[in-house]
Amino acid sequence: MTEEVKKRCAELVEKSKGIVHKAFEKFKPLEMAITWTGGKDSTTNLWITRQVCLEDNIELPKVITIDEGDAFPEITDFLIRTSKKWNIDLRWLANFDVLKCCQSHLGNTVKVKDLNERNQAELKRIGFEEDSFTFEAESYAGNHLMKTVVLNQFIEKNNIKALFMALRRDEQAARKHDEYFTKKEGGYLMPEHTRISPILHFTERDIWNNIKLHNIPYCLLYEIGYRSLGARTNSNPMAVGVPAWEQNLEHTPERAGRRQDKEKTMDRLRKLGYM
Amino acid sequence: MKNVVLLTVDTLRRDVLGGYGNKGGLTPFIDSLQNKCIRFTKAQSIGPYTQASFPGILTSSYYLEYGRGKKLSPKRTLVSEALKKSGIVTAAFHSNPYLSGYFGWNRGWDIFYDSMDADVSPEIPYIKGDGINSKVDECLFSYTREGKYKPFFLWVHYMDVHEPYVPERKYIDMVDSSISISQDEMFNLFKNVLLKRDVSDEETVGLLKKLYDAHIREIDDYVKEFFGILEKLNLLKNSVIIMTADHGDEFNEHGSLSHDGKMYSELIDIPLFVYGYDRVKAEVCNTLVSNIDIPPTINYLFGLEPAEDFEGHSLLPFEDYPKKGCFGEAIDKIGNKEEETDKPVYFYREDDLKIIYRESDDIWEMYNLKEDPKELNNIINASSLAENMKKKLKPRIRRWVKE
Repeated sequence: MTEEVKKRCAELVEKSKGIVHKAFEKFKPLEMAITWTGGKDSTTNLWITRQVCLEDNIELPKVITIDEGDAFPEITDFLIRTSKKWNIDLRWLANFDVLKCCQSHLGNTVKVKDLNERNQAELKRIGFEEDSFTFEAESYAGNHLMKTVVLNQFIEKNNIKALFMALRRDEQAARKHDEYFTKKEGGYLMPEHTRISPILHFTERDIWNNIKLHNIPYCLLYEIGYRSLGARTNSNPMAVGVPAWEQNLEHTPERAGRRQDKEKTMDRLRKLGYM
Repeated sequence: MKNVVLLTVDTLRRDVLGGYGNKGGLTPFIDSLQNKCIRFTKAQSIGPYTQASFPGILTSSYYLEYGRGKKLSPKRTLVSEALKKSGIVTAAFHSNPYLSGYFGWNRGWDIFYDSMDADVSPEIPYIKGDGINSKVDECLFSYTREGKYKPFFLWVHYMDVHEPYVPERKYIDMVDSSISISQDEMFNLFKNVLLKRDVSDEETVGLLKKLYDAHIREIDDYVKEFFGILEKLNLLKNSVIIMTADHGDEFNEHGSLSHDGKMYSELIDIPLFVYGYDRVKAEVCNTLVSNIDIPPTINYLFGLEPAEDFEGHSLLPFEDYPKKGCFGEAIDKIGNKEEETDKPVYFYREDDLKIIYRESDDIWEMYNLKEDPKELNNIINASSLAENMKKKLKPRIRRWVKE
């Protein structure tokens, strides 16, 4: 690794630490949480935040991970190992009501009337009016109940005011103008909170350079060709057998290995008021 | 040879633009372009919603020409395919699921971005115009960086005017600062009023129209930003820009909301103009033209013959455009769901006369748009011209069924 790359990494991390410091000036650690999927970005994000806490003797905010019911065993394993290594009390969140209704089995049908009141209200809120849905991570109803609702309920129950998230500007076009601190307006079933993105300025290449430079742990799936990790049934390696950091990061889309066919398109149509 | 840019806005009514007579000042930037534009005052869409209209805009063929398949028939030639064959570089940037790779619209593009991999919220279920612009900026920047480049065809489509109508506060304020409404309330209007096509309360319909107008004001900013990108990259003076919409939107002009299978002006009338940097004055073309004419126009601008199966005619030079009627077709659905059993609806327009046929109830309608621009007075039984108009539309009805 060249000195130049090392210097850039140091600058990027310094900048991120500055954001984290600023966050701790605005919020108490008890009112904050760090989201961690086990992917390269959120692991980097957690590593940086944890560094700041160790250096300044600040209590590490709660660290949470959301189980959508379709996780790679490799990621689960990575989360367990790394949280032990870093001495983190990782909280595993899930929508257990939905998991119960589908017997935790992908592809099973969930009847809306079998769900609890809150989940039914959530479906109503997003305009889902059918009697049932198939349990899949990226389906319209599934995605909302398994991810958004779980996060919102956690925020509500724990009086969370701010969340550390691992968004990167270069991830997708829509993020280009994102800010480090974004306030999410509250509303019906939606608790108000602030989202903090300390690694917003990292590129995919920067992430790997920094991981290598500091020996930050990463999930083994990246070694066999995955570039971006989502739900198990939706993610595929981009180049089989080629480690992520050796792929053409600058000229191929990071999320190309994620399934983006029918379900994603249908989800969009539904949100636009069709179907 | 100049580059050609096709800039389309989903669900953009013609009457919201200053260039078409709107006095509300919703589109200051677009209006400022008019003195370098040819403006088509009577452009018609071939259909009232995206799937019925875009076959015209990008393949110069009618919606039901190849049956009712949801995916784009491989028999159609996309303008991108026709151009690519001739060595033109092609790129597309949009966020409309009906025009995504999944439905087959990704053919013939060197770069095709449909945003379907991005996460979106229920309130804003598409990539906003500024997100599309940054994607375009990035791509054009790297494509033209070397200085020398092959001419390109760029298609950019914005979704921001499309429901659920949850505009940002600053745009609501620009339209009417007395409106006090939260994001939740707007989203509830979408679910409880718009999706149900409930027009019972006039005031609520008026409020929805204002939220729609706020999005129009927003679009104007994105168009401005887009022109800024072209200018910054020194591309504006080397490009011809065609700007249009796929269809309009209804606010109870004919008893409903949104854009279903109806053939009235609020959905079928579209803005259409061609911007040229070197133009010295505004020009106006009052001939009846259709968005099915766009692909042959794009080919013409690149000095190419139209593809064999294109059904439209080049709009340029507009002196040579043949005088003809405009035709359109769609599925006669009310509400947001198209059922297999829903039947087609057709229209044909010539001069100021429009005839509509709805297969489901075997109903004919005819309007004189000059005397009755709101299309409220059906003259099918009163007009002596009705038979002649029927005769012109009839060959187009169920023409794909071999009897």
